[in-house]
Amino acid sequence: MSSSLRVERAGPLCTVQDGGRPGLLAHGISASGPMDIDAHRLAGALAGACDKTGIELTRAGLDLLMESGDLTVGWAGGAFEVQLNGERRPWPGSASIAAGDRLCITPGAAGNYGYLRFGKKLDLPMVLGSRATSTRARLGGLEGRALRAGDVLNFSEEGGTVQSVCSPDPPEAGPVRFVWGIHADRFAADIRRKFVETPFRVTNAMDRMGVRLADEGGVFAGSSILSLISDPILPGDIQILGDGTPIVLMRDHQPTGGYPRIGTIVSADLGRFAQIRSGEAVVFAPVSVNHAHQLMRSGKP
Amino acid sequence: MKQPSNQPLRGGDHRLPTLPQIVPLGDCALLVRFGQSLDDAANRAALVFAARLKADGIIGVVEIVPSLVSVLVRFDPAQVGVARLSGELALRLSGDGAFGESRTHRIAVRFDGPDLGEVAALLGLSIDGFVEAHNRGGMRVLATGFAPGFVYCGFHEKSLTVPRRTLVRPQVSAGSVLFAAGQTAIAATDIPTGWHVIGHTQFRNFDPTVNPPTQLRAGDQIIFEVVL
Repeated sequence: MSSSLRVERAGPLCTVQDGGRPGLLAHGISASGPMDIDAHRLAGALAGACDKTGIELTRAGLDLLMESGDLTVGWAGGAFEVQLNGERRPWPGSASIAAGDRLCITPGAAGNYGYLRFGKKLDLPMVLGSRATSTRARLGGLEGRALRAGDVLNFSEEGGTVQSVCSPDPPEAGPVRFVWGIHADRFAADIRRKFVETPFRVTNAMDRMGVRLADEGGVFAGSSILSLISDPILPGDIQILGDGTPIVLMRDHQPTGGYPRIGTIVSADLGRFAQIRSGEAVVFAPVSVNHAHQLMRSGKP
Repeated sequence: MKQPSNQPLRGGDHRLPTLPQIVPLGDCALLVRFGQSLDDAANRAALVFAARLKADGIIGVVEIVPSLVSVLVRFDPAQVGVARLSGELALRLSGDGAFGESRTHRIAVRFDGPDLGEVAALLGLSIDGFVEAHNRGGMRVLATGFAPGFVYCGFHEKSLTVPRRTLVRPQVSAGSVLFAAGQTAIAATDIPTGWHVIGHTQFRNFDPTVNPPTQLRAGDQIIFEVVL
């Protein structure tokens, strides 16, 4: 049976995301995909999702109305408030909803990104092998744009089975780990030392392309490194603008860039970094590439 | 004469590393760098290396991205470790080779850009003289980058070099033909740019409805032709 879900209210930059479209950097296209991959996966397990397509919502939340059919919905990521027909439900969690049901997600205690995954397949065209929205390149999702009120999402095919999921450990609050970047040797030793000793502050200049940090400790004040020949970019790259502002490049990053990159956040910590709210402090800690691989394998520190 | 032995290997901003150089870019990629400045030899070396990697199909390599003077090699750490992959890459650093399959594209350009007159004047040429010099000899696609399907083509003769504009235009349209720094670039989408807009083309090097979404490959030859 087909099912449909109407968007009644969408916060800004609420997008459809799946595993992304890696492999197209040579065509100038970044991979996109979820800002917090672990949370996206957890929501999928909770929904018994049959494919990777879901909704990434931002802090302002999302209100949905089930117009027809029924659907299992799983949610996870950060700490949002969720109500089904006015009744509060636990986050992360899941529910089976039917025509007439209303799901309202509102800001909660922590995090920037939440995920909804579904027990049925979201019926959207594949663009270059993926349904992930890239608002930068205007690809995927619904016409390459963010969701907005009035959009109707249709679902087809039955999905998998809901998995029993252990409640995940709360994300650790320790330093965000990185490997030294492709231009680390362009920075003087004392700047590199200060970079790992000094907290930075996440600012509200954040989106799927990048997160601007406030360098309140003046780590990069007065250090001027000229722009370099452009090299390819990957998510997690920490670039330093000419005025000393650090920017962490995220999933919808530009494909290449010529600002010096002091480090790259490790894969295991990028989702946790994406969830840090503006105003909060972040401290960076260097690890070796091999250590980063251990972190990826274990899923633990 | 011997170098003083107490010279720091890192921390000085004065020592540039020996090239080519293999450095990690995050925990799932290595960057192989062939130059610290943009020149023909470094770009050629990067393109030849990328073609060699593609032909060899190294286990664990999931993406090969040639850029202006470097090649990004993304890998799956579950399949190959960084030491082993670095070794595989190092083995392929030297030796001659071709760019792989290189094609020639004729791109028709209407030389009507708002900066055309200024660029010609900067170079001491008439507009016709500039267009003739610009199109003489053809160019190579150096890399795709910056935006979907955006290509850098080079290199013009040294005498055809102008710096970028001091002001960035917040948006130029897809098909804009751009000129700066000894290169010509073609925008395939609407972009901001600090390059001079010298003309426009109907050619679009980006179509998301087909895969692959671009037609031009780094290493391909470009012949610019005047359309009135």
